[in-house]
Amino acid sequence: MALHLPQLPLEALLRGRALSEARGEPWAVIEGREVLACDAAARALGVRPGMALSAAWALAPRLRARPRDAGLEREALEAIAGWLCRFTPSVSLEPPQGVLAELRGSLRLFGGIGPLAAQLRAGLGEMGFTARLAAAPTARGAWWLALGSSEALLEERAQLERALAVLPVDALGCDPGSLALLADVGVACVGELMRLPRDGVARRFGQALLDALDQALGSAPEARACYRLPERFAARLELPAPVTQAESVLFAARRLLVQLEGFLAARHAGIRRFALRLRHRDARDGVIGIGLAAPAREAEHFTRLLRERLQAITLTEPVEAIALEAAALVPLPGASANLFRDARTEGEEWARLIERLEARLGGGTVQGLAVHPDHRPERASRRIAPLGGTQRAASAGPRPLWLLEPARRLREAGGAPQDGGPLELLAGPERIESGWWDGGEIARDYFIARSADAALLWVYRERGAAGGWYLHGIFA
Amino acid sequence: MPSVLPGYAELHCLSNFTFLRGASHPEELVERAAALGYGALALTDGCSFAGVVRAHVAAKERGLKLIVGTEVKLEDGLKAVLLATDRRAYGALSTLITVGRRRGPKGGYTLARDDLERLAGTGALALLVPGGEPDAEQARWIAAHFPGRAWIAAELHCGPNDRARLAALRALAAGCGLPLLAAGDVHMHVRSRRRLQDALTAIRLGRPVAECGRELLPNAERHLRLRMRLAQLYPPELLAETLAVAARCTFSLDELRYEYPAELVPAGETPASWLGKLTGEGLRWRFPHGVPRKVAELVAHELALIGELRYEAFFLTVHDVVRFARSRAILCQGRGSAANSAVCYALGITEVDPGRMNLLFERFVSRERNEPPDIDVDFEHQRREEVIQYLYAKYGRERAALAATVICYRTRSAVRDLGKALGLSQEQVDGLAKSLSWWDGARALPGRLAEAGFDPASPVIARLSALLGELTGFPRHLSQHVGGFVIARGPLAELVPIENAAMPERTVIQWDKDDLEALGLLKVDVLALGMLSAIRRALELVAARRGRPFTVADVPQEDPAVYEMIQHADTVGVFQIESRAQMSMLPRLKPANFYDLVIEVAIVRPGPIQGGMVHPYLRRRQGIDPVSYPSEAVRAVLERTLGVPIFQEQVMQLAVVAAGFTPGEADQLRRSMAAWRRKGGLERFEARLVRGMLERGYSREFAEAIYRQILGFGEYGFPESHSASFALLVYVSAWLKRHEPAAFCAALLNSQPMGFYAPAQLVQDARRHGVEVRPAEVAASAWDCTLEDCREGEPAVRLGLRMVGGLSEAAGERIAAARAVRPFESVQDLARRAALERRDLKCLAGAGALASLAGHRHHAHWAAAGVERGAALLAAARSAEAAPVLAPPSEGEDIVADYASLGLTLGRHPLALLRPRLRRLRLACAEELRTLPHGRAARTAGLVTCRQRPDTASGVIFVTLEDETGCVNVIVWRDLVERQRRELLGARLLGVQGVIEREGEVVHLVARRLTDHSALLGALAARSRDFH
Repeated sequence: MALHLPQLPLEALLRGRALSEARGEPWAVIEGREVLACDAAARALGVRPGMALSAAWALAPRLRARPRDAGLEREALEAIAGWLCRFTPSVSLEPPQGVLAELRGSLRLFGGIGPLAAQLRAGLGEMGFTARLAAAPTARGAWWLALGSSEALLEERAQLERALAVLPVDALGCDPGSLALLADVGVACVGELMRLPRDGVARRFGQALLDALDQALGSAPEARACYRLPERFAARLELPAPVTQAESVLFAARRLLVQLEGFLAARHAGIRRFALRLRHRDARDGVIGIGLAAPAREAEHFTRLLRERLQAITLTEPVEAIALEAAALVPLPGASANLFRDARTEGEEWARLIERLEARLGGGTVQGLAVHPDHRPERASRRIAPLGGTQRAASAGPRPLWLLEPARRLREAGGAPQDGGPLELLAGPERIESGWWDGGEIARDYFIARSADAALLWVYRERGAAGGWYLHGIFA
Repeated sequence: MPSVLPGYAELHCLSNFTFLRGASHPEELVERAAALGYGALALTDGCSFAGVVRAHVAAKERGLKLIVGTEVKLEDGLKAVLLATDRRAYGALSTLITVGRRRGPKGGYTLARDDLERLAGTGALALLVPGGEPDAEQARWIAAHFPGRAWIAAELHCGPNDRARLAALRALAAGCGLPLLAAGDVHMHVRSRRRLQDALTAIRLGRPVAECGRELLPNAERHLRLRMRLAQLYPPELLAETLAVAARCTFSLDELRYEYPAELVPAGETPASWLGKLTGEGLRWRFPHGVPRKVAELVAHELALIGELRYEAFFLTVHDVVRFARSRAILCQGRGSAANSAVCYALGITEVDPGRMNLLFERFVSRERNEPPDIDVDFEHQRREEVIQYLYAKYGRERAALAATVICYRTRSAVRDLGKALGLSQEQVDGLAKSLSWWDGARALPGRLAEAGFDPASPVIARLSALLGELTGFPRHLSQHVGGFVIARGPLAELVPIENAAMPERTVIQWDKDDLEALGLLKVDVLALGMLSAIRRALELVAARRGRPFTVADVPQEDPAVYEMIQHADTVGVFQIESRAQMSMLPRLKPANFYDLVIEVAIVRPGPIQGGMVHPYLRRRQGIDPVSYPSEAVRAVLERTLGVPIFQEQVMQLAVVAAGFTPGEADQLRRSMAAWRRKGGLERFEARLVRGMLERGYSREFAEAIYRQILGFGEYGFPESHSASFALLVYVSAWLKRHEPAAFCAALLNSQPMGFYAPAQLVQDARRHGVEVRPAEVAASAWDCTLEDCREGEPAVRLGLRMVGGLSEAAGERIAAARAVRPFESVQDLARRAALERRDLKCLAGAGALASLAGHRHHAHWAAAGVERGAALLAAARSAEAAPVLAPPSEGEDIVADYASLGLTLGRHPLALLRPRLRRLRLACAEELRTLPHGRAARTAGLVTCRQRPDTASGVIFVTLEDETGCVNVIVWRDLVERQRRELLGARLLGVQGVIEREGEVVHLVARRLTDHSALLGALAARSRDFH
């Protein structure tokens, strides 16, 4: 059985997109300045693969274009291979966009070739992939049929020979140079190619092509490297449009959970815990750890648990990507454990203490601090996660350690600021005008002032029409 | 109360020519400084004089004293402002900048202390700009190397503690015995440019503003501050010191005098005597049977004027370049104000016979205007490099360099950079920039933004739109001018700094052509013109067939057959008048003599079109409107163009004779005309112009009409002198097309890429005129297209191997050479004797050029792919392989392959094959459309050969469709452009449903609906050309 994934570059990037968000925005994956693949919305506007990006922009000004991510595609291919392992141990990759599986031995188990193909299609769909499937007595034959989008499910060698003869030559997956030469000499289908003199073909296209033809027809054997399942499960998914709704995160996570289930089935194993990592727009990670009372394997089960957890969480920052991790596989030959017996009370780790503290005391109560390069005093430091990294920055002028947030308006008498008596301005003005780009623009003249009780204060006068004096900080 | 305010001169000021730092134009800085009552302003861009001429011109106008200087930051961190006191110091600074720029990377500079040491004794002044922690060592070094000429600049900008800073600088100054003065480190003329300045910083750092943090300026204090404010900030003696320094800087750019190269005059001659001799020789060459009296008088008069203004060396310089080109048989022609003089005709700089034209030399070289004469010389585009190398070799790189072109931000590039600076993602920026089509200006922005999915009211977009207006027009970097050479007697670097151009081994000066013109410095324009290559090639082909030399001078003048062809707009390939706009004008204008061509060239241009000159002229010429003049003086100016101003010179002259402008003022008007669209500023001339005309008894109506015409002229006005030179090329190329169509076609093909039409159209046009065109073929073709004998005596064009896509010239030449030894026997033989790679053979097979050796294309490709080189070749030759039977390609496949390789086909037009299907779709052909009456509805389809959107036709796009019977000119109005953008831009085979618009011979189809029929073409490889 051969699976060809013509939309893989697009799906690898977009499969995390919930259907509710899919409407309207046309998407394309580009390589260089050329459209490699595009979705239905883009297609409807006239965008086609192979088109120059500039031409695509002209047709679809709202087109969202992402560069191809080969790493992600490879991961997706391996994910599919891993999932396929639940049906057969002999799975091999046909990069960049294909997977082959030897299924002869599993046919009876899964009800024959037709039902099995339907099952594959459904599973792939749940993971967010669309594939062209073809089956044939030889691996290469099946692969060529899939590439030629024939989608035939053949079990006899004679059928295969007839099917291959009418296959267009571009289904051979050979190099562009050979393909161009075939077109140049007017050879359109595999049958015509097979009729050419063999010595002439070998000289012009190389012996490899003849060998491949023989392998496809079954007159020569073909050895393929088997895909090996990794020891632990890790998969990630980009969210093309950052999401803030738990439901959308869940949708994307489900694609990975289906993948996980296939992986576990292939390993005849279950897990006791898994972790969903949420990457936020500001590059911070949030982790949702789920523990199970007993080892389990079913995606449905995992999904339910995850939904419960997600509903309890408010997403403050949009999520840009998710990753699913599961280690510590437990052998699980039979059915999985009861749905409701997972124990949240099992030993919490120390690191979760802060989460629990926050949950009790209210969000944002436990913080770390770091300096941040910005002229605006209120933005010159920044809250970071507890135990976050440390950094240094060149200091600006004199800055008090204690800042009032927000600054406190001071009374005025005769244009001079008062705070329990007149303030004496010792130094200044230090003028700060900055921050127009994020709506937090300030324009102030800062002074160091001494109050009547000899405290050193940091005060400023608002520039512009509003005016007014404010106390912003206290020097220790 | 200005009297109580202290005087001040700003000595440290950056303009936007310190790219991505300065946030104001030099002109803005000058105007603001003048308005604030500054005693002087020093423009001190970072290691650059690129903005000083603009500042100089503005300062002269506002009566402000401008000081020329530069800010330099050395590799060891020392930062100083250097000021020019006199010509010598200026030359030293210019040389210093040159050294720093030539040593540094493109766009940057590298200087060290020993470079500054070389300024010793030149009179240059130095202001040390101390860093955050004042460094006494730097101060001592400056004091030691600029004794009596160094200061420490105190630049207070409301920092954390100005008082402490000033005290520290005072201590520093006292410690090394240097005086302290106030300076502003000005980055913008007004504080409101702060946002733009922040954005520029972000662009410079390649990060969003929000991530620039403390690299941004903390406040907007680096602007030109009120003197009152300065008085509060600085002790009076620090302000007074600035005036003392300014007083020592007496240098003005007006002192720069251009010195012509000396080597052009042989020993014992003066420039005047030598020019006289050369002109005399030239006259005898031009007029072997005696010089006409009129011409002789003209020459004498011109020589006197040249002598009076001492322009001899300029004419000698141009003559030298032209003489060199001629010695290498490179065709060239001069144009420009001085080029149409009798002297230039005699010197061979131009071919426009002064007897044929009635142009007054004084109109172009005026006594009043102190500016150098203007001569541009066009050379064959494929050989201009030889001329440039000659100039470098003759004068050396120290004395000759190209003028700069200032590349400015345009809407799209500004959107890109600002978008990134404001934190939009690359993808959003691309979306934004791409949503602006090639024709959209800044005004289209809101609509385009909405279309691209941006909310124009969102804060980010509002910020972007606000900054966009300011950034557009800002200089971005210097590039090289297309061919403006500046040549000096001594080292050029002492006149103007020189920096590296992007092209290796090229250097550019820091001034552009406007700067040079403003200072009256001379440049020689060495330009490239494709048509000159084509004409030279055509003349050579004609000469070869006739067996005797044949030059431009041998082309018969005023041939009626040529004009008849032109009047029918049968002008594909003819210089200038081949464009669609020109073609639709020709049948109406009906040029019948040379001067009509001069007008034709000038009239179909945005200037006259926007000024509304075209229709009045046509109506008068056709006798519909009477020709009248408001006065005799105006008649003298406008009589040759029937009372309608068409040339730039006429507008200037009108200002003089009708509105009382002096020639100098008229010249300013011309400059403003060129710039008003960018900068505005023409309004002040309006009042002056109208008043002047009213005073002289002209009607308000006439005066305002003239003003409107001036506005319309804008930067597109075309000078008569250029037009005349171009018209000559129009005539020569038209004559060749009419009488030597085969030679003309071959020459055009050999000169590609050039002109308006692709080879396919040129070949089709030639065939329509009865020229036989033969295929490219290894058994017959040379590299170039050639002429072959044909039975009827008319030559046939043999396509050259240059038409074969992907084939190298060297391979083409080897094929021709090997064939000359003996004909090829087989593809194998060809490959061996011409040493061809498989790749070359594949190209030849694709072009159908192996037909004589291998048969049809499929067999040719099979044979080509089977060829091996070296040892394998011998083995292959011995073992004969079985020949396959391959089906021949269909006609359609052959046509597609022809287009893919050659860009044209000699077979049937692709639409001829599709005609039955097009008929079923009820689509008519071009021929049928030509006969339809005005107002009739029509449907057609054709290959899109050209889409054009003239600047003058608000949003309209002209599309040319081609089928097997000819071309259809389609007009697509703006609303349809918007509605059917996709079909318009995407279709290769475009169907149009519309209405016929007919005026005499000129037929257009006004589109109502467009359909994309490209699917019918399959893989047809015809590409359209988009013109801006």
